[in-house]
Amino acid sequence: MSPPDTAASGVGASLPRLDAREKVTGRAQYIADMVRPNMLHAAIHASPAAHALITGYDTAEASAVPGVACVLTGDDFPDGRMGAFIKDEPAIAKGKVRYPGEPVAVVAAEDEETARRAAALIRVDYEDLPVAATPDDAMAPDAPVIHEDLPDYFKVFPAICGGNVASETELSEGDVDAAWAECDVIVEGEFETPAQAHLSIEPVGALAEVDADGRVTLWSANQSVFRVQANVCEALQLPMSKLRCLTPKVGAGFGNKMEPHVQPLVVQLALKTGRPVRLILNRTEDFETVRARHPFKIRCKTGAKRDGTLVARELSAILDCGAYGDDSPGVLGYSLLMSRGPYRIPHCRTSGKLVYTNRMRFGAFRGFGNPQVTFATESQIDEIAGRLGMDPLDLRVKNMMRPGDRWFGGGEVASNGLAECIEKASAASGWRQGRARAAPSGKRRALGVAACAHISGLLATGAIVRLLEDGSVVLNTGAVDIGQGSDTVLTQMCASALRVPADRVAIASPDTDGSPYNWGTTASRVTYTTGRSVVAAAGHVAEEIKRHAAEIFECAVGDLELRDGGRVGIKGVPDKELSYFEVSARAHWAAGGPIVGADTWVYNQPSVDPKRAIARGLPFPQIGVYSFGCMIAAVEIDETTGKADAVEVWSAMDVGRAINPGSVEGQIEGGFVQGMGFALTEEMVFDGPRLVNPSMMDYKAPTSLDAPFDIHSIIVEAAEPDGPFGAKGIGEIGLVPAPAAIGNAVAAATGARLRRLPLTPERVLNGLLESDSED
Amino acid sequence: MEFIRPDSIDAAVAALQAENAACLAGGATLVAMMNADLVAPERLVSLRDVAALRTAMRQPDGSVVIGAMRRHRETAEETDLRDGQRVLSDAAGQIANPPVRNMGTIGGSCAFADPAADYPPALAAADARIALVGAEGRRTLPADAFFVDWYETALEPGELIESVILPPAPAGTAGSYTKLARVAGDFAIASVALVLGMEGDACSHLAVAVGACGPAPVRRRDVETELLGGGLGDSEIRRLTDALADGLDPVDDVRASADYRRRVAPRLVRQAIAEAKQCLSGTQ
Amino acid sequence: MTGASITLKVNGADRPVAAVAPWTTLLTVLRDELGLTGAKRGCNQGVCGACTVTIDGEPVRSCLSLALNCTDCEIATVEGLAPAGSLAPVQQALAEGNALQCGFCTPGILIAAHALLRRNEPLSVDEVRAGLSGNLCRCSGYKKIVEAVVRASEARP
Ligand code: FES
Ligand code: FES
Repeated sequence: MSPPDTAASGVGASLPRLDAREKVTGRAQYIADMVRPNMLHAAIHASPAAHALITGYDTAEASAVPGVACVLTGDDFPDGRMGAFIKDEPAIAKGKVRYPGEPVAVVAAEDEETARRAAALIRVDYEDLPVAATPDDAMAPDAPVIHEDLPDYFKVFPAICGGNVASETELSEGDVDAAWAECDVIVEGEFETPAQAHLSIEPVGALAEVDADGRVTLWSANQSVFRVQANVCEALQLPMSKLRCLTPKVGAGFGNKMEPHVQPLVVQLALKTGRPVRLILNRTEDFETVRARHPFKIRCKTGAKRDGTLVARELSAILDCGAYGDDSPGVLGYSLLMSRGPYRIPHCRTSGKLVYTNRMRFGAFRGFGNPQVTFATESQIDEIAGRLGMDPLDLRVKNMMRPGDRWFGGGEVASNGLAECIEKASAASGWRQGRARAAPSGKRRALGVAACAHISGLLATGAIVRLLEDGSVVLNTGAVDIGQGSDTVLTQMCASALRVPADRVAIASPDTDGSPYNWGTTASRVTYTTGRSVVAAAGHVAEEIKRHAAEIFECAVGDLELRDGGRVGIKGVPDKELSYFEVSARAHWAAGGPIVGADTWVYNQPSVDPKRAIARGLPFPQIGVYSFGCMIAAVEIDETTGKADAVEVWSAMDVGRAINPGSVEGQIEGGFVQGMGFALTEEMVFDGPRLVNPSMMDYKAPTSLDAPFDIHSIIVEAAEPDGPFGAKGIGEIGLVPAPAAIGNAVAAATGARLRRLPLTPERVLNGLLESDSED
Repeated sequence: MEFIRPDSIDAAVAALQAENAACLAGGATLVAMMNADLVAPERLVSLRDVAALRTAMRQPDGSVVIGAMRRHRETAEETDLRDGQRVLSDAAGQIANPPVRNMGTIGGSCAFADPAADYPPALAAADARIALVGAEGRRTLPADAFFVDWYETALEPGELIESVILPPAPAGTAGSYTKLARVAGDFAIASVALVLGMEGDACSHLAVAVGACGPAPVRRRDVETELLGGGLGDSEIRRLTDALADGLDPVDDVRASADYRRRVAPRLVRQAIAEAKQCLSGTQ
Repeated sequence: MTGASITLKVNGADRPVAAVAPWTTLLTVLRDELGLTGAKRGCNQGVCGACTVTIDGEPVRSCLSLALNCTDCEIATVEGLAPAGSLAPVQQALAEGNALQCGFCTPGILIAAHALLRRNEPLSVDEVRAGLSGNLCRCSGYKKIVEAVVRASEARP
């Protein structure tokens, strides 16, 4: 399926996924499809208790089941603790349990059925402790302490913590207190967003195999082989040299597979049994024990002058952390950084608390806190427009950040396509031409708009590009393609940089033994950060190729150019050229040695300028480059039931440069529908600490009939100066404005401003009837 | 666990005469529950090979007998269902999604009696009877008597559903099923099954059953009867919805609150009647 | 317990399977006994559609089908959509239309779509949306899948 020439398969081409054929034939192997010789199957025994001391185990009955090879409890695990920001989490509950569903014991047996049956026979004695099910409970003066050792835990940043507060962050600019006096209109409100399940269709799983020397190879559903390696080694106190992490195909992640799930459990079972062990969670376990989007409670206040100039914002957020820290401090910090939105608001004060509770851990989820705060802040932009009688789009245009403006906190923004996003979404949707098409009978219809920004960046990455003997290329980055298509996009970049067709570039599967470090497939970062490394590493290869050619042609390196099809020649002399085969063969067999280009770097532009802003407890000081977007959604509301449907959407997103436009559209479309689910139907419902809907029967994500077909992806390309071919990320931003755009449409259609997600038929109908009765 | 695949109704009934025996119809519900370890029958009696349960037939009097093993897709496409009987095909076509409609059967769905499922209100509005067969012989029950409580039916141990019998619907009546669900194919938050006949401006036939708002479908035959012969204007509909509202006994669950169900069910009834009237006047 | 020995007809071939317990689903047999891992287990509850296969030509949930109930049926999985080395038109359409991301839903979607295409006439967007409504995809937002299936229906003779 790969077209033959560089132009048709390189940067800018909507090249089909490299693994499309593998996937449409059903041959792609995911973790649950992997089998190793003599493999055992594992099952977990999960805690029924939310918060309790473990006072004893009885595993005799489980161990006696024929076919059971091994039963492990917390007593059989080392004392190590893992955690992306706060090292607070053991591989398995030790001494106490902190949420219902927490793994307490694991069984390995000859088959999965036996393992599950045995796991159910394990008896654990608990001494119940008082439960803190919500942040309010956990912050009460007499609240039970969930992590007694919090002060002693190792933290990767100067965390402000204490009691059940895992982290506190503040970020502000200007003088908010004084600024309110300048405002003619002030809106204030409390917003609430629920836990959302990632609901990758693939549940998580892992397979570990140990060699005769005790070195472990681990495959798992993951978003970073390197984070898996780090987490498992921390939790099990293993040297990293003793664990090699690999990846099969991954059935999507959305953040769920970034940090650990069951990997430490299978590694320990493999070490104890000496046999390969595979553990695949069932859907209920996946819901209950992995992670989900943080519930947020947000207080937000925004003020503007009569002419629409935004003056001040104050925002405070309480995040339910769940039982373990995971990525949560990052989510808190990032959500505050995003809470000014892409506007010029001179006075802004934001703060937040991340509170441990006895619920499942919450963690990274596409958008990383941004959809939650954007729902609040973009709702308030519309409220201000309403109060001032301004068009919501005009208010946004009046206040939007312009090229050269800095981000909240003072970070530089090198590319800004916001104006174009707003303009194009507005034009395509017909916003200014009467806005809403007529509603069908029995419905109300309105458009809603939201603008947003997001980053791509963070941390370390690398690439190795090797020229093979015949002149074809192998690219190795260590970045896990979780289905979003990074293997294809990175290959296209490498192909374009070396002017070869994409099918002449092979991409290596991530391997902690052989790949350069890559922090992970998260933070919309792979295209931008890893892409930069790919371009740099390919550049080194290009230099080497030219050096060889210069020696052969006896000319200066500067006189040489790469040509399409993998050739190097003298500029202006078309027939003076060599194939990469000729160059690479020389390098391999005669002179110079095989050609390898490598690059690594770590994102290092500061996000906060201490001269402009005050930041406390911000977990990552160097965040990334900024993308912008504007979404307009058409929503129809059934007047009988209040059910709101998004029927059409225009999503204009600034990606810097679309390396693969088809893939970019896929991210915009998929992001919207996941955000629409968050806005309209998805909610993890808790009864105290316990999740009451851990199944696809009870937790409802959109189907093909719920998602609108008319999702118009509008690609805006404000090139990032240091991005690879100008590119920035697109993985998350397409989701971020969806709840706000839909909420604004619902408000426009009904007159009711709903501040709590999801916008269920019940909430919408109640709002509609109330506002009708006020009219 | 034992697995039996009888090929006749008699053999199936015989096989069912055992402790903890269960009928396996389409599997859409039972196997899901087995997979989740919620049930573990000791004997599974698969009805797959019982050809007599797979047919649907229109009788000379216009009634239609639908075998228990008729799949939702077949019922959705059933041309033998006419006039008001279409309430059942309309409901069948709104169950879950195409692959599940290819598996699930009317007998299996009735036996499970999920109050939020689509068949119970449709059967109630159609005045359907459920035909049961057991070791003691056969009996038929009206739908109202069959759906007893939350997930509870009048089926006795050792009995199976043989068929569902829809009486003839008066010519010119219309049947419709209106469902509100969170997403396409989900169980109902609330639903309304309606069979309506109008002669000019006078109501000649009226049956309204509300689903998902209590342990069993809710109908108010008394008020329906009172409204016959009159015009079905706002005040008449109001009488009906008020009466229905009295009969609702909804719960709070993950799909919606009880309050909302009380609020929305009468609105759905009004909408269903308005649409049916419009559709009837269009065809007259 | 020891189960029954049965023969299943899968993708046109008779496949004997030993020791099948009554509760064993077709999905489990396909994946664990027959090495046909194209059908995926996303929920084991009949909701996600990743396990969709056809039985006697109709798409059904293999996670809700007991293997012992599937003897004397024709079972087809994604592996049987086209002979090795070639792609059925619907596979080609999804692959070329950027209509798959992680691919975990793809085998089930292909089976459901293939059944729709049997009608041999151009399909509308809404027909395809309805026809695929039992197959969840968390990645794509469905648009490109629907487009690809519509295109495949139009490309037919
Ligand atoms: S695994 Fe069968 S429908 Fe999800
Ligand atoms: S492509 Fe990932 S679930 Fe559909």
